[in-house]
Amino acid sequence: MTLESSGPDAPHGGNAPLATLDAAALARLRELDPDGRHGVLTRVLAAFETSLARMLVQLRAELGAGDPGVVAGVAHTLKSSSASVGALALAASCAAVERRLRSGAPGDLHADVERLVSDGEAALRAVGAMLRP
Amino acid sequence: MTPAHPYADAGLQVQPEVLLVDDDEVNLLLTELALRERGFRIAGASSGEQALALLRDWTPDIVVLDALMPGMDGFDTCRALRRLPGHENVPVLMLTGLDDDASITRAYQAGATDFFVKATQWGLLAGRLHYLLRASRTRIELERSKFKLARAQDLARMGSFDWWRSERGDAAGLVMSPEALRVFGYGPHEAVGLRTLLRMVPHDDRRGFLRLLHEALRHASVVATDVPIVLLDGRQRIIHVEAEPEFNEHGHGVGYAGIVQDVTDRRVAEDKIRQLANFDALTGLPNRRQLIWRAERALEQARRMGHQFALLLIDLDRFKIINDTLGHGAGDEALVEVGRRLRACVRHSEQVMEGALEAAGVRSHRSLEAVGRLGGDEFVALLPEVAAEEDAERVAQRVLETLREPIFVGGQECFVTASVGVALYPRDGASVVDLLRNSDVAMYSVKVQGKNSSAIYSPQLAGRGREKLELETALHKAIERDELVLHYQPKIDVRAARMVGAEALMRWQRGGRLVPPGDFIPLAEDTGLIVPLSEWALREAAKQARVWQQAFGFAESIAVNLPSRLFERSDLVEHIHQCVTAVTVPHRMIQLEITEDNLMKDLQNVIPSLHRLNEIGVEISIDDFGTGYSSLAYLTTLPISELKVDRSFVRDLGVTPQSSAVVTAIIALARSLGLRVVAEGVETLRQMEVLHRLGCGVMQGFLFSRAVPADDLQRWLESTVLPRKAPWIGRASGSDPGTDAHRAAGGRQYR
Repeated sequence: MTLESSGPDAPHGGNAPLATLDAAALARLRELDPDGRHGVLTRVLAAFETSLARMLVQLRAELGAGDPGVVAGVAHTLKSSSASVGALALAASCAAVERRLRSGAPGDLHADVERLVSDGEAALRAVGAMLRP
Repeated sequence: MTPAHPYADAGLQVQPEVLLVDDDEVNLLLTELALRERGFRIAGASSGEQALALLRDWTPDIVVLDALMPGMDGFDTCRALRRLPGHENVPVLMLTGLDDDASITRAYQAGATDFFVKATQWGLLAGRLHYLLRASRTRIELERSKFKLARAQDLARMGSFDWWRSERGDAAGLVMSPEALRVFGYGPHEAVGLRTLLRMVPHDDRRGFLRLLHEALRHASVVATDVPIVLLDGRQRIIHVEAEPEFNEHGHGVGYAGIVQDVTDRRVAEDKIRQLANFDALTGLPNRRQLIWRAERALEQARRMGHQFALLLIDLDRFKIINDTLGHGAGDEALVEVGRRLRACVRHSEQVMEGALEAAGVRSHRSLEAVGRLGGDEFVALLPEVAAEEDAERVAQRVLETLREPIFVGGQECFVTASVGVALYPRDGASVVDLLRNSDVAMYSVKVQGKNSSAIYSPQLAGRGREKLELETALHKAIERDELVLHYQPKIDVRAARMVGAEALMRWQRGGRLVPPGDFIPLAEDTGLIVPLSEWALREAAKQARVWQQAFGFAESIAVNLPSRLFERSDLVEHIHQCVTAVTVPHRMIQLEITEDNLMKDLQNVIPSLHRLNEIGVEISIDDFGTGYSSLAYLTTLPISELKVDRSFVRDLGVTPQSSAVVTAIIALARSLGLRVVAEGVETLRQMEVLHRLGCGVMQGFLFSRAVPADDLQRWLESTVLPRKAPWIGRASGSDPGTDAHRAAGGRQYR
């Protein structure tokens, strides 16, 4: 289940509604550590938060004259990890961007980066809310 | 955690160690957790560089690589990993996106073992890892066993090959393992075709080998054969080829898979063993075993094809003399030379290929022809086909002829002659054993008749065989072994009741048994052994005369029997002289007896000796007188001193009037010639009395004493004659002493 706000037409900025993480994905993560003894969920989310934050910095740097290779690489990495933690809107954006860039004609990279940054920030907020309610 | 894993097997008791490489820390963490949950031990690396650093001093069981990573990606990492020593065969699983076909190809090119789609279905990933681990272990085992096989093949000088025939335009081909190439002297990577290999087979063998291969190919049958080859460096080897046909799905033979093995050493050893088992080590000729084998084959062939074959037994004459006088080394040399010469007398075939007999056609038995050594100085010539006994006889003559040349051994020339006995199949025997025995009988008949000749077997010869030859050999050794003894029979002057001499008679103590003279004296005469025997007897008699002289003043003579051939020897006088002077007794103490037959047979040759003997004081006595056909004219001129009346006349005294007439005549003759008369074989008092009445006063016989050992004779004298206790003493003393004045009668009484 995705958030309505994570659609392509969703408004950008800090006032966007709070995104939530996909319940099914979270359930799968919990299955890895049913009684929570190993703190798997927390560790995974923390790892995601750290890596996502770092990549957002990288993406923002590409908002100017973007390098398609760097953008595609970030999209690829974020694609699977965001899917793993249930940030499905971000995962979908990553897949779309990666597919488009690999097709050969980069075109307007700016829009892609903006979209990734926006979805990434939403996911970062959602993870933050999970980790620090 | 699941303790018993569904993929676990015997080789998987410990947790497999996994190196997990992923730049996405979330994914790295998740995968790590999931795999750890499934029994793996995980080390994580978030970049290719970090992974390679870990691998510098650690080898995981498997590496899981994310394909797309910033910086050094999965492909670069995999390539770098493969270059690290010890990581050439570590299984590497490359994780790619689902839709990333290009990466899959690149993954394999980079050296990845397998790829897997990146997903969160951990169970599938774990299953794939187990599969790869198992494949890896299988591969390691395979590598190890390949290595072992290669090593074993190398040690066994063995290698494998595959050959396939040309089909539907595809050329025929041969693939050989490096070990197989090595068998043929090639390096491990050289390309060698079947044609090249076939050219290594010597021309003479190639045709047969090719025929064998074509035959096998046509029937799609197994190939198993040894073939000689010459390596490029000129060394000759023997290669064992063993191959099984391979078939396609339609059952058509498409090629062969097999092994080649260098069996030269084994063949050399086998040949050596065969050589030792079948050939005489000294002469190199076929030995008894091989000869008998050949003879059996020859017999089968002769029986099947209805022809004759011949066995020639060749026995060297008096070969022992060479061994005894020149030593065994010289004897061996002579045997080698004899073997060499005999071999040239026949169409000698060194080898008979077993199984070749049937193959080589009707004349194949010719290859059996050979000369072999049965042992000792006995050889055999095998003639596998003869048309008539003359063929065999011709070869026998060739054998005798070839030995006529002297043999140079031990620094001097020797003459070796042979006696050859011939037996023909089927006439002279239906089995090899019979033929050998009968050729032996024929050979022996040659020996008896004076050697250095040949004889063809005939049934009349049988029965005079081996035993006599053995007796001869034993008799030969009898002198050295001190088996011969002289027994003495006294000559008695019945009127004076005293011993006036003794006759020495030879006895042979053979293995605790006393062989009577009749059983070995004729043989000794046949074989010439009588000469050394007689010489020994003369020596012995002289010694005994000396012993008795000292013991009881014996002053008469001891008579020794000699055959005429001894009188023919110019050294007889010298020999007797040595015998008596050695023991310091006078010559007259030796008397010689020669039979009338013997004397008359060789009269002309014997007379000169008799004269010389007489001159030195050795008297001659004629033995068995009355049985021969003496020329009385000669008798008057011969230098003889004594006649001995043959026992047959004495036996019949008082039974047939003729005997007393003969004895009377002999006594009259002796008297007129001035000779002594001695009667032999006196067994009864009646015979003694008749003889005495007829005028013969000196006698020998059981009535007085049989021939006894020297010591016994002395005891008999002391216990019987001197005390005058015997029944015959006194019976003749009262009668007419007669005029046959025994020359010794005036001799002193003993004691």
